[in-house]
Amino acid sequence: MSRPSDLVQGTLDLLLLKILALEAMNGWSISQRLWQISGEVLQVSDGSLYPALHKLEQEGWISADWRPSENNRRAKFYSLTRLGRKQLEKEAANWDRLSGAITQIVRLKEA
Amino acid sequence: MSWQNWIYTVPLRLRSLLRREEVERELDEEMRYHLERKTEECVAAGLTPAEARHAAMRAMDGIERQKEECRDMRKVNWLEDFLQDLRYAARMLRRNPGFAAVVVLTLALGIGANTAIFSVIDGILLRPLPYGDADRLVIVWENNLRRSYPQNVASPPNFLDWQTQNHVFSGMSCLSDLRGNLTGSGDPEQIVTQYVSANFFSILGVNPILGPGFTAENGEDGKDKVVVLSYGLWKRRFAGDPGIVGKTIELNGKILSVVGVMPEKFNFFIKQGTLTGEKPQLWSPWVLPAAYHQRKNSGRFMTVVARLQPRVTKAQAQTEMTAIATRLAQEYPDFDGHWGATVVGLREQISGELRPALLLLLGAVGFVLLIACANVSSLLLARAAGREREMGIRTAIGASRWRMARQLLTESVLLAMIGGGVGIALAVWGTNLLLAASPANLLALQRVPIDWRVLAFACGITLFAGLLFGFLPSYISSRSAIAETLKEGGRSASAGRQRRTVRSAFVVAQIGMALVLLAGSGLLMRSFALLLGVNPGFDAKNLLTFTVTLPSARYATDAAQLAFFRQLEERMAKIPGMRSASMESFPPMAGLGAATSVRILSQPARAASDLPVAAVRVVGRDYLRTMGIPLHAGREFDTRELAEMRHVALVNQAFVDRYFAGAVNPLGQKIVVYMKSDEESESQPSEIIGVIGDVRLVGLDAPVEPTVYWPHPELVYSRMTILARTSSDPMSIVSPARNELREMDPNEPMASVATVEELLSDSFSRSRFTMIVLGVFAGAALLLAAVGIYGVVAYTVAQRTNEIGIRVAMGAQRRDVLRLVLGQGSRLIFLGVGLGVAAGLLMTRLMTGLLYGISATDPLTFAGVALLLTAVALVACCVPARRAMRVDPLVALRYE
Repeated sequence: MSRPSDLVQGTLDLLLLKILALEAMNGWSISQRLWQISGEVLQVSDGSLYPALHKLEQEGWISADWRPSENNRRAKFYSLTRLGRKQLEKEAANWDRLSGAITQIVRLKEA
Repeated sequence: MSWQNWIYTVPLRLRSLLRREEVERELDEEMRYHLERKTEECVAAGLTPAEARHAAMRAMDGIERQKEECRDMRKVNWLEDFLQDLRYAARMLRRNPGFAAVVVLTLALGIGANTAIFSVIDGILLRPLPYGDADRLVIVWENNLRRSYPQNVASPPNFLDWQTQNHVFSGMSCLSDLRGNLTGSGDPEQIVTQYVSANFFSILGVNPILGPGFTAENGEDGKDKVVVLSYGLWKRRFAGDPGIVGKTIELNGKILSVVGVMPEKFNFFIKQGTLTGEKPQLWSPWVLPAAYHQRKNSGRFMTVVARLQPRVTKAQAQTEMTAIATRLAQEYPDFDGHWGATVVGLREQISGELRPALLLLLGAVGFVLLIACANVSSLLLARAAGREREMGIRTAIGASRWRMARQLLTESVLLAMIGGGVGIALAVWGTNLLLAASPANLLALQRVPIDWRVLAFACGITLFAGLLFGFLPSYISSRSAIAETLKEGGRSASAGRQRRTVRSAFVVAQIGMALVLLAGSGLLMRSFALLLGVNPGFDAKNLLTFTVTLPSARYATDAAQLAFFRQLEERMAKIPGMRSASMESFPPMAGLGAATSVRILSQPARAASDLPVAAVRVVGRDYLRTMGIPLHAGREFDTRELAEMRHVALVNQAFVDRYFAGAVNPLGQKIVVYMKSDEESESQPSEIIGVIGDVRLVGLDAPVEPTVYWPHPELVYSRMTILARTSSDPMSIVSPARNELREMDPNEPMASVATVEELLSDSFSRSRFTMIVLGVFAGAALLLAAVGIYGVVAYTVAQRTNEIGIRVAMGAQRRDVLRLVLGQGSRLIFLGVGLGVAAGLLMTRLMTGLLYGISATDPLTFAGVALLLTAVALVACCVPARRAMRVDPLVALRYE
């Protein structure tokens, strides 16, 4: 399937929100950034990025506008909304809790 | 979702919907930008432009699919699909205008009829009554179950004791109505006044629109010379004078000052409890005279309305009233023995009489809608067969089953919506028709406004109908196999068979339902015919009646009233064209009369509450000849008995049969008739001087009551109904009669002028109304069922043209073809009729209360309607059968 199956459900949302929290970006730059950050670990196909972005947009967490890009062509830039910022805080907290708990379990010594 | 989200998302959704092209362009552009950048990157990495482009596409992982997923994220797909389906459906309908017209018309009839009946029911059974907090209002009746009077008007002393002893009502008011002569300012006219307790309006929770209304002190003797006008009377007689309050009017020669005008919608009319049977136009306080406080001098004649105290239920009120009535019955066994009290909710009281008929009509009209839906469903199924290729192709290119079913359902709902729209228009027209067809006062509605409840109902049944008739066709079509349908010929055997089965089942159900409706309407018709055939016991032809009421202010004594009526009778008899004239205390067919206990002196003494009961009617001269009632034994009243009190009476045959059991000669027997105070009645027993034929004077469907007839001097009524037997058209003597009356007293109006034939016809009006409306529905059901079976048989014939052609080519006779086609039809018909008879026998029981003189399972009626339905359905089958018989084998075989 096109969905990044090895990403925990919702993790892609969290990553996108986090990336956009730093600055407004277009789809291409986001895909580059994702690749830069996670390298080979998180495999997100170029295609599946867009449905995820559109979903965030339709939820009202990010908003889009058209501006000139780095190479002076028109591109769709996404930026975080106020709601998105709240959502990011919530999801980040969730992630911390979850990953903390899993880390603990993984580190348990076998008896 | 919180409201903050809505701020962001609603504009987005709207944009996706309304600016779809722009959104799509942006999606394209976004994707293209990405592809171009990716391609540039690949070229930079050393690929050829073509390779680079290819790699970029591959990295997108299916660009069209990603786009579709992006579209899904907009969450408006369902709506877009729906709109698309709707557009498509509209196009399909435009392409088949005949089909669309038939379906829309069928549905419009079904939905319109349902809406019309519902709006009447809404007006009568559901709309709030025009009183404050009307659910807390009750009517309190006396009851005497031994005499089978479940709801009897109450007596003043009992009312007074109820009032002081109960703890369940916050207020009780008694009322009674009388006709009075309104004089001064214009022609004299008779109008009905309701005499009510001073707290009447406050119990009902309605204030006058003008003036203060009654105060508590208006309930005291001497301070009761006040009156409240109805809106209609105020507008009509006083031209809506805004300064009317404080002015005076003259009623029965008494001067009363106006203290209020009631709102337009206000009326309080429980026909069962009235003496006049007409709606009141005036209200005046009723001060109960001291004599009414004693049970000796009192009868039962008042309606009692009460308001429940907060948090008291009707059941609790009934318990308390039963306890009080039981106590009174022990305390006053002569007067109250066997009498109890019944508490009835006001709404129940008002709608009680009409409820069974209206619910019957609602049920019937529901059946009509179901039959209509079955027809439409059947048509859709037939059409679906022609669309199998289309469906097959759509399935083949990836439409899901649910998606296809949704498309077909959208078509049905569109059809239903158009049908519903036309139906509502029909309903507006239909309710007016219903009201026009209904006799005056029957529905107690002047007009039925289509309000939100009716509209909600209409929309509800429209949607219901659309889903109902759309469900099966779309279900079956969406599951037919692709492979089979796409084969040459494009006909899937399995779906075809399924469709035929379903359509046959529809036909069976339709015929069954039509039979139930026909049986119901057949029963009403036969019952009505029986009612028409009832012998009233008198001759109704050429008989005119009108009513004259003498005000006590101008005719104070019995002697004066007696003399007036005697003179009027004589003058009437002399009018040219008059065969004879008489009078009677109650008009015929008015549904009312007086009744009381009777003691037969020759029979052993009994407790007062166990005495026989008889109706009492006071009559004038020439009564038997005028009415055409036969004299069975003895003689009629002579001149002296008609001039002064001689204590004589006539009784009817029912009285003799019931109370003398045929053993004793009734002539010369003396009876005490308790119509006056007990002492007076007992000191003046009446001698029976004649026995006359039984007469149905109260109403044709009412049983004949034992009746005592007194001459007028025995009990002088100030209001008498004049009876005039004419040799030709009775209406021709109205004007000479009015002249005679005017010569005797110019202030005396002639009221309630009607021929007895009119009165008889009015008394049938409710039965006739129900019968006609149900008959129309049954007719519609019959027609729809006939169309239904015609459609199925015709379709089969069309499908089997080949087969029939082969059969004919191989030597089958026309007779064989006919048998083949009719055989299929008649199997369905017989099955439907059988099921219908079974269902009908169960369901017509519900209408027992509406029938007269006939059982709800009357075998003759059932046989008759079964035959009628079978005949009509067979005729409907014959049309396609004839077509089948004319099939030319050459033409038929060439199709293949």
